[in-house]
Amino acid sequence: MKAYHIHVEGIVQGVGFRPFVYRIAHEHNLRGYVKNLGDAGVEIVVEGNESDIKAFLNDLKHKAPPLAKVEKVKKKEIPPQGFDSFYIEKSSQGGSGGDSIIPPDVSICEDCVRELFDPTNKRYMYPFIVCTNCGPRFTIIEDLPYDRINTTMREFEMCEFCESEYKDPLNRRYHAEPVCCPVCGPSYRLYTRDGKEIIGDPIKKTAELIDKGYIVAIKGIGGIHIACDATNEDVVEELRKRILRPQQPFALMAKDLETIESFAIISDAEKEELLSYRKPIIALRKKEPFPLPEALAPGLHTIGVMLPYSGIHYLLFHYSKSPVYVMTSANYPGLPMVKDNDKAFKELKDLADYFLLHNRKILNRADDSVIRFVDGKRAVIRRSRGFVPLPIDIPFEFTGLAVGAELLNAFGFAKNGRIYPSQYIGNTSKVEVLEFMREAIAHFRKILRIKNLDLVISDLHPLYNTTKLAMEIAENEGVEFLQVQHHYAHIASVMAENKLDEIIGIAVDGVGYGVDGNTWGGEVIYMSYEDVERLAHIEYYPLPGGDLASYYPLRALMGILSKIYAIEELKEIIQRCCPKAIDSLKYGKVEFNVILNQLARDINVSYASSTGRVLDAFSVMLNVAYRRTYEGEPAMKLESFAFRGKNDLGFSIPIDCEKIKVEELFRQALEVSANPADIAYSVHLALGRAFGEIAVEKAKEFGVKNVGISGGVAYNELIVKTIRKIVERNGLKFYVTQEVPRGDNGINVGQAFLGGLYLEGYLSKEDLTL
Amino acid sequence: MKIKLEHGAGGELMEEFIKDFILKNLSLKSAGGIGLEALDDGATIPFGDKHIVFTIDGHTVKPLFFPGGDIGRLAVSGTVNDLAVMGAEPLALANSMIIQEGFDSGDFEKILRSMDETAKEVPVPIVTGDTKVVEDKIGIFVITAGLGIAERVITDSGAKIGDVVLVSGTVGDHGIAIMSHREGIAFETELKSDVAPIWEVVKAVADAIGWENIHAMKDPTRGGLSNALNEIARKSNVGILVRESDIPVKPEVRAASDMLGISPYEVANEGKVVMIVAREYAEEALEAMRKTKRGKDAAIIGEVIAEYKGKVILETGIGGKRFMEPPVGDPVPRVC
Ligand SMILES: [Fe+3]
Ligand SMILES: [Mg+2]
Ligand SMILES: [Zn+2]
Ligand SMILES: [Zn+2]
Repeated sequence: MKAYHIHVEGIVQGVGFRPFVYRIAHEHNLRGYVKNLGDAGVEIVVEGNESDIKAFLNDLKHKAPPLAKVEKVKKKEIPPQGFDSFYIEKSSQGGSGGDSIIPPDVSICEDCVRELFDPTNKRYMYPFIVCTNCGPRFTIIEDLPYDRINTTMREFEMCEFCESEYKDPLNRRYHAEPVCCPVCGPSYRLYTRDGKEIIGDPIKKTAELIDKGYIVAIKGIGGIHIACDATNEDVVEELRKRILRPQQPFALMAKDLETIESFAIISDAEKEELLSYRKPIIALRKKEPFPLPEALAPGLHTIGVMLPYSGIHYLLFHYSKSPVYVMTSANYPGLPMVKDNDKAFKELKDLADYFLLHNRKILNRADDSVIRFVDGKRAVIRRSRGFVPLPIDIPFEFTGLAVGAELLNAFGFAKNGRIYPSQYIGNTSKVEVLEFMREAIAHFRKILRIKNLDLVISDLHPLYNTTKLAMEIAENEGVEFLQVQHHYAHIASVMAENKLDEIIGIAVDGVGYGVDGNTWGGEVIYMSYEDVERLAHIEYYPLPGGDLASYYPLRALMGILSKIYAIEELKEIIQRCCPKAIDSLKYGKVEFNVILNQLARDINVSYASSTGRVLDAFSVMLNVAYRRTYEGEPAMKLESFAFRGKNDLGFSIPIDCEKIKVEELFRQALEVSANPADIAYSVHLALGRAFGEIAVEKAKEFGVKNVGISGGVAYNELIVKTIRKIVERNGLKFYVTQEVPRGDNGINVGQAFLGGLYLEGYLSKEDLTL
Repeated sequence: MKIKLEHGAGGELMEEFIKDFILKNLSLKSAGGIGLEALDDGATIPFGDKHIVFTIDGHTVKPLFFPGGDIGRLAVSGTVNDLAVMGAEPLALANSMIIQEGFDSGDFEKILRSMDETAKEVPVPIVTGDTKVVEDKIGIFVITAGLGIAERVITDSGAKIGDVVLVSGTVGDHGIAIMSHREGIAFETELKSDVAPIWEVVKAVADAIGWENIHAMKDPTRGGLSNALNEIARKSNVGILVRESDIPVKPEVRAASDMLGISPYEVANEGKVVMIVAREYAEEALEAMRKTKRGKDAAIIGEVIAEYKGKVILETGIGGKRFMEPPVGDPVPRVC
């Protein structure tokens, strides 16, 4: 007889790992125990035949439950102690500095859906049905170990029935911490906007109200949604008015795949992602003609859709005539999604007609994740529910905090060779969002058991609230503080995810604070363990009014054109090409003249190399969009418009002394007479070619085999595809990120990676800021 | 290091600059009351049961004559207002003028007459002076020092949690007017500077609610409202919350700043006072301000809070809250 002590690390908590160990131990006639060590993983002691133990270890590695991820197994032989059975021992508190991982929220599993609609089942039509393979995790966890007592389910004492399942190692609800039933668990209630409860089946009533054209706030897993019937154009328009999002695409939730296929085109990869346990929103290509209201995603060729991921969603569609709902986050633009009942009544009273709320607290806000497939590869736009708090490996062991940038923000903690990016935080220029970020930071520190930091990393922008927060944390805790340039961090995120040690990176986005104080966003960068260097960029162009140019892209267009046309000529061009853009300015013609004056006299003008603003400017010039009412709007609409183009007009952008002269692209577009959609299409290809060619040239010059792209423009299909083809045609490898968001939501990973390079002495502070 | 324009712009950079150079290199910095270290609007010297308040201001505005005023009016108002916001009645001014060789005597006379008129408004005598002519191309610089007397000195550091924040009128007028005029930007309505002495406004409030209920005061010149509020928040170690919808801004100033991309909260005012008063006297203070000529657009714009010590928060209604940061550089240079 032999005995072994086995220590397992990985995603082994809250995923049915212990009952699985219990089962296989029994199958192989072993005795001993399994024990949850909190953040330090799972401890197993087995006694029995050598060959049985071997078989057990094999199963342990290869037959683990679907959500588990066994990352490390350490075994050591110990003297047998003579156990008479195999049992599951009580959890210990953890805190030993290990790094077992908390699972993310998991969508309801097939078994639970089956039971949900089985009239003989105890949990028939009960929306909070869960098992060890599904249900909320991250959003309800207060601390480790992942036991009911450490979740927001502790307010609900299990009834005898639930407890019997919970305690039975062979039951599929064994230690499913959120297990509950209609007798003992949380419940939904329906209220009017003044907080009066409506009697009757709240879920059925809600479905009826939505079918009738009402807007309902529905509390779910990671926050509250605003829902309405997506097939009803009037209510969609009404919602736009109420939620102050005139143009921003609304996310949909559809009853099933067939429903989605009736209005969107789904590739195999997209289908797989739609059906994954993460259940993200996926931006799919709209079918033409699009059978749903245009107001759902005005001017875009894509529509964001997700499938039901919780019991409540299944029940609503069960009762509802409409097979597709708008399911958008319950918040006004720029503010955090509302998640608590009292706040819902206060803050959403002008938004929703009715409120369907439950009485389980949401501890950690998690927005729906958003994904788009770009050039056949997954691009994460918003990494939140279903992903968080899963980590990303980096080759550095330090403990650190990377605070991200400002818009679409997330932070990340580095610990033991991993980065744990936070859930989606949002626009941290708002105090409310910054507060949420502070809370989320504290929570991550707690569950990751991080006491002392080695490094705090922020963006280079001196005015970002996150920069100030990072400085404050560093100062209070006496920790070293490091700033890294925005686009360096974008490129570093590509290196981190793809485990590269050098790259020629194309960083293309809206705005990032450059080391020279200008606004960057069209950069070609060499990055390795030894050096970071900006090799080429879009030649600076003026942005009259600075930040205003992000909201009124006509300003960017005028700035760029002012490089090649005299003021009078410029005036005439705008009046001829896009007169409506002038009317779209807040003060119309008066403002137009002020802009001309600003350009002529250099009054409050900033200088930029942003690719985002270039695309915005074309959007105005081609009369596609004049205003930015949500992040990325003009550029996204331009891309959608370009998809209608077919002919490459062969525009080319001269590169002079490492400066990409985009103004010449505007000149060519102005001089050609062609279908505007063809112009939009050709503009994308020309930008892709310019960046692709210079990157290839630099890769050859530096002897680098890898080229990568990141930043907000890396979600652009036409540009990414053009660049990829050029890179591959030249025998080089092309890299994107498929896990880390390419926009600013993922910048924390690049910051942490550069923090590692800095701490290990590869790069200096000057390398990252000069 | 080379001194840059931003070092004199009234923002964070200027403060660092003052601390790193001026405060470091001067050693005798107090005459028994508030001294240089406080970086307040003026200094105080105890005088019996009262306080002498002493201040000086150099004026270098470009152009010298602008809509709503000129350098002469500015020079008197600037110094009188620094005294006023310390709680001091202006007693006398000193006037030093540095003039470029070749300066037009007609213009010079216009400036002096304007000074005289403004001084009579207060009223305050100009009792001593100095004149220099130089060959440097400076046009004219007017430097005025002022002496006042205060029963009770009002500092920047006296704001208390629960207090109410008032401003005596519309914000941003001076900076945006000068900017538009200087850069030849034509708007539909011509913008005018608000340059004026505001002793009358301060005195009216003090008479109505008593000096002891005015807890802090500043004249929001360089760096504008934003800088004034931030200084009070930092020096008083409190938070300040202001509501955007309550801050008075002339529609034409709002429009101009919208079009230029320059915040009206970050540019200079020359005829306004920001006052922090005890909550129970807020309405009375407002009423007293509104009865004066310079204070008819006065408004309660916010309150002093316990959270966010040293910071100013701007509440923008449905848009949420953001920090109102002191400007880093100067969006509109050479305005005072
Ligand atoms: Fe970015
Ligand atoms: Mg002053
Ligand atoms: Zn399940
Ligand atoms: Zn139960």
